Amino acid sequence: MKAADFSYHEVVNLQDAIKIKAQDDEAVILAGGQSLLPALNMRLSSPTCLIDISKISGLNEIKIDGQTLFIGALATHSDVMNNKTVKDNMPCMIDILKMVAHPAIRNKGTHGGSIAYGDPAAELPALAVATNAEIIVSGQNGERSINAKEFYLGLFETAINQDEIVVGIKYPLLKQGQKIVFDEVCRRHGDYAMAGLIANIMGSKNDIKDLKLVFFATGDKPDVADKTARLYLDNGYDYDKLKNSLSSEIDFAGDLNSSSEMKLHLATVLIKKVLSKLEN
Amino acid sequence: MDDIKVNQNPKLGSLDRPNSYIGRSLPRENAKKHLDGGGQFVDDLTLPRMVHVAFLRSPFAHAEIKSINTNNAKKSDGVVDVFTAKEIDEVCKPWIGNLGHLGEMRSPEQTPLAKKIARWQGEPVAVVIADSRAQAEDALELIEVDWAEKEAQVDMETALDSNAVVIHLELGNNLFWTRTVNQGDVEKAFKEADAVVETTLDFARHTGVTLESRGIVADWNKAENKMTIYHNGQAPHMMQHIIAKHLDLNEGLVRIVSRDVGGSFGIKVHVYPDEMAVTAISKKIGRPVKFIADRLESFTTDIHARCHKISGKLGVDKNGKILAMEIDDLSGIGPFSMYPRTSAIETNQVLNLSGAPYVIPNYKAVGTVVFQNKTPMCQYRAVGHPIAVAITEALIDKAAYKIDMDIDKIRKINFIPDNAYPNKCPSGVPLEDLSHEASMDKLLEIMDIKEIEVQKEEDFKKGVLTGHGVISMCEVTNPSPLFYGVGGAHISSQDGAAIRLEGSGAIHLSSSITEQGQGTEAIMKQIAADQLGVKMESVRVTLGDTDATPYGGGTWASRGAGIGGEAVLKAARKLKDNILNIAAAIMQTDKDTLDIEDNNIIRKNGGEGISLQKLAETVYYRGHELPKGTNAELLATASFLIEGIPFVFTNSAMGCQVSIDQDTGIIKINKFWAVEDCGTQINPKLVEEQIRGGVIQGIGGALFEECVYDDQGNMQNATMADYLVPMAYEMPDIIVDHVTTNSGRSIIGAKGAGEAGTGGAPAVIMNAVNNALKQVNAEVVSQPITPEKILKAIGKI
Ligand SMILES: Cc1cc2nc3c(=O)[nH]c(=O)nc-3n(C[C@H](O)[C@H](O)[C@H](O)COP(=O)(O)OP(=O)(O)OC[C@H]3O[C@@H](n4cnc5c(N)ncnc54)[C@H](O)[C@@H]3O)c2cc1C
Repeated sequence: MKAADFSYHEVVNLQDAIKIKAQDDEAVILAGGQSLLPALNMRLSSPTCLIDISKISGLNEIKIDGQTLFIGALATHSDVMNNKTVKDNMPCMIDILKMVAHPAIRNKGTHGGSIAYGDPAAELPALAVATNAEIIVSGQNGERSINAKEFYLGLFETAINQDEIVVGIKYPLLKQGQKIVFDEVCRRHGDYAMAGLIANIMGSKNDIKDLKLVFFATGDKPDVADKTARLYLDNGYDYDKLKNSLSSEIDFAGDLNSSSEMKLHLATVLIKKVLSKLEN
Repeated sequence: MDDIKVNQNPKLGSLDRPNSYIGRSLPRENAKKHLDGGGQFVDDLTLPRMVHVAFLRSPFAHAEIKSINTNNAKKSDGVVDVFTAKEIDEVCKPWIGNLGHLGEMRSPEQTPLAKKIARWQGEPVAVVIADSRAQAEDALELIEVDWAEKEAQVDMETALDSNAVVIHLELGNNLFWTRTVNQGDVEKAFKEADAVVETTLDFARHTGVTLESRGIVADWNKAENKMTIYHNGQAPHMMQHIIAKHLDLNEGLVRIVSRDVGGSFGIKVHVYPDEMAVTAISKKIGRPVKFIADRLESFTTDIHARCHKISGKLGVDKNGKILAMEIDDLSGIGPFSMYPRTSAIETNQVLNLSGAPYVIPNYKAVGTVVFQNKTPMCQYRAVGHPIAVAITEALIDKAAYKIDMDIDKIRKINFIPDNAYPNKCPSGVPLEDLSHEASMDKLLEIMDIKEIEVQKEEDFKKGVLTGHGVISMCEVTNPSPLFYGVGGAHISSQDGAAIRLEGSGAIHLSSSITEQGQGTEAIMKQIAADQLGVKMESVRVTLGDTDATPYGGGTWASRGAGIGGEAVLKAARKLKDNILNIAAAIMQTDKDTLDIEDNNIIRKNGGEGISLQKLAETVYYRGHELPKGTNAELLATASFLIEGIPFVFTNSAMGCQVSIDQDTGIIKINKFWAVEDCGTQINPKLVEEQIRGGVIQGIGGALFEECVYDDQGNMQNATMADYLVPMAYEMPDIIVDHVTTNSGRSIIGAKGAGEAGTGGAPAVIMNAVNNALKQVNAEVVSQPITPEKILKAIGKI
């Protein structure tokens, strides 16, 4: 388990990284390395060139930017969990990150890395979609902003171009009466989930005005289930009906720990579990 | 000094005296070294001119190797050479994993590298030798193999069908070994029974997952004709013999050094093809060669274990008395039986141990072991126990439910009474010094079953399925020559100790038992210091070096304390005797008036003594001062071996309580209790850590661990991310308590304690889960018990 040879560029500013990336089709960004390095060591991928962006300063900034919470790409999961601005403005993010891997991995793994990697079982992409976040990328033609839902195209496939790098994510600040509630089912604590759900709710338990359900670890990307959310609002929790609806809305893909049938079941009961967390 | 245990072994003397270390939970010194990163593992070693290897391993479970072209690989950067079976076979003779004492075993010859046919995914086929492991891996990609993939025999259940793929054509079929035990008349007894219950249980393959992977550095010194092997194994002298035998070396000139070892669990006690190839390469190229298995290699080449399907039947009368038990076990061991212990032992233990705690007058057991195209399977911690205990205890619970009797009561009325030893297992294997009754009583006392039952009802009302179980078991420990030696294996069942007083007054001890991280060094020190009457810190220990330690078996089958510890005790007593003789001569008094305390020879009835240092100085530097004819030997040796019975058994009782989330199928172990009777506990804390660690591995088997294969025999989850071992969050509180029945076979009275947790936890967890599921008329019969299996059982999916 030793990586194949590659050339290694440690860059200190974004422009250099973009330049190298634009020139070399095979160049790959290295941030915290928590997902990339195992893949290289197992020789599952053998890129010829790595651009290490971890030394670029300022890319780990966390701040309020207008009506959004901005998290710089290089902020590690631990940085985010320990950040006061996050705690004050989006405490759910901290609860969600507690379910991401283990402390050692969270100390290195970055927010941008998780968003850019686009693992369908990861929590953060689903959170970004559920909260209608904008992913800010920077490339040869400058910066652009991509809505999270448009960012995720398929299995590990994103709307990012070869010359572009994720610089940060903008999460809209929660409005009065808005809540983000989540739950997931894992075989072991800290593992990728067998199924997870992030709900974006406007209203209170007995009076939900608006509901958005985004599942993860279910299909090939964060799965938005608008039809099912509608059904819940109209009918309340009816296991069979919701299950039917989910199965028509999401293409469940089984994995080693849970078949597609299991995922469909878990996704359905997660609706109950998540919404029962709401207070009146 | 904390935690003084009441010493129930009069042969060891009172605990109320200086230097009484046996029975105390002393911290172990070498833990500090490891915390400080000061350990020396095989991978820490770098020798001059050392090269590294990487193996090309079969990507297929079954394939013909039509040709191998290594030309391009040989030209790759840093490559020293590339070998295939042809070159390795020139220096290493094949081996056969069969033994003679258990009936016919049919494993064919095995060579380090596959010759014409690869028979499991991961079998080594070619090897690159290079200046670095990375360069060796680069060159692997340049080896061209013309493979002709063959259909694989993956499923053990079809391995004996007439249309099965025969893995070794010369054998005609895939049968490796079979055994039948028949005591009494089960047919008749089942007819007479008031209730007969049956079940079939499935145990997935899993593996040992040692923190440190397998590793070896082989260093052939041509000038001296000497082979030095740095190896993280468990049985240095066994390896010495095997390497000499297969490489045609003078056995006396093979040295095995096993310094720190990061866990072994039986994984590292076998002969692995890649390690034999490394030794052969060193012999061939005359340079030190290093191989450290990476995690992917560990998962596809370390032995796997379990992989059993077992049916069982139990007949009881209306009072709950067991009349008969019958089992039929099938196991798949991969394409070869492992060398030299064979892969028959797990099944053999299932047959030997099923029903062991109970009086079962009629017993029949059939075991069938077949070949298949998967990673070889062999002995891993608690060999066979999880299967034997689970089938026995599942049947007993079923019988209790059927005749409506409490699960503890049915056990109590069937135990072999504590006062009825020596006795025999239903299979006929002799048992002695056990305490199932006392252990179960203690377990029930610490568990508070009444309270648990109340909680169960309350939880049920809330929609949570809570359940509990209790089990009893025997653990095989301290084996005698009847385990392997009698079958022709050069595996020592005797162990030795050598202990000396040095000129400085320091004590040096060496033993043939090895340290795998479990604390051998600490307990050996405790025994030596206790028996000699010296401070712990004055004892230094050398283990794991065939050039420096006495000859012996090493560490496996929970034999370190009971066998190796007794040798240390005997050697220390001899040395003490010598010292007191010398002291009596110097002090011109009667030896019986003297003793040793805190490194000083004291006069029991007062008066001035002398220090051990002074005595040693006199002996070594001024020997002329001693009276003529004094026997001034300050080195003593002793050996010990279990004689007359196959094993010294240990027993335990375990309980656990689980809760099941009916929506997700997730099982939570709320609490786990274990009562262990391992005789004298030399260091109670280390015993408890053995129990706890064992239970955790048992939880792994019961709920998480599985080597998942697809239909073509490809392992699907060969990484630590996908192969689930229990982690801190999955570990419940484990309450450990003890009953002490010393083994009558030794002075020290210690039995083994290393495997009970792993052997018993799967059974008690499964029983607790089924106790919970019974409330909704459901049952699981397959391990690991995954959330998906639970949801299927309760009809949610
Ligand atoms: C044992 C383990 C358990 C885990 N469990 C979970 C879990 O439960 N939930 C979960 O969500 N995650 C989990 N992870 C994944 C972890 O969260 C990610 O590995 C980490 O967040 C990725 O960040 P990184 O900085 O390490 O990315 P890297 O590994 O450096 O990169 C990952 C990928 O993203 C690309 N990339 C990185 N940064 C950028 C950027 N700024 N712009 C463009 N592309 C970029 C890289 O090129 C690469 O393809 C787990 C990981 C491990 C090892």
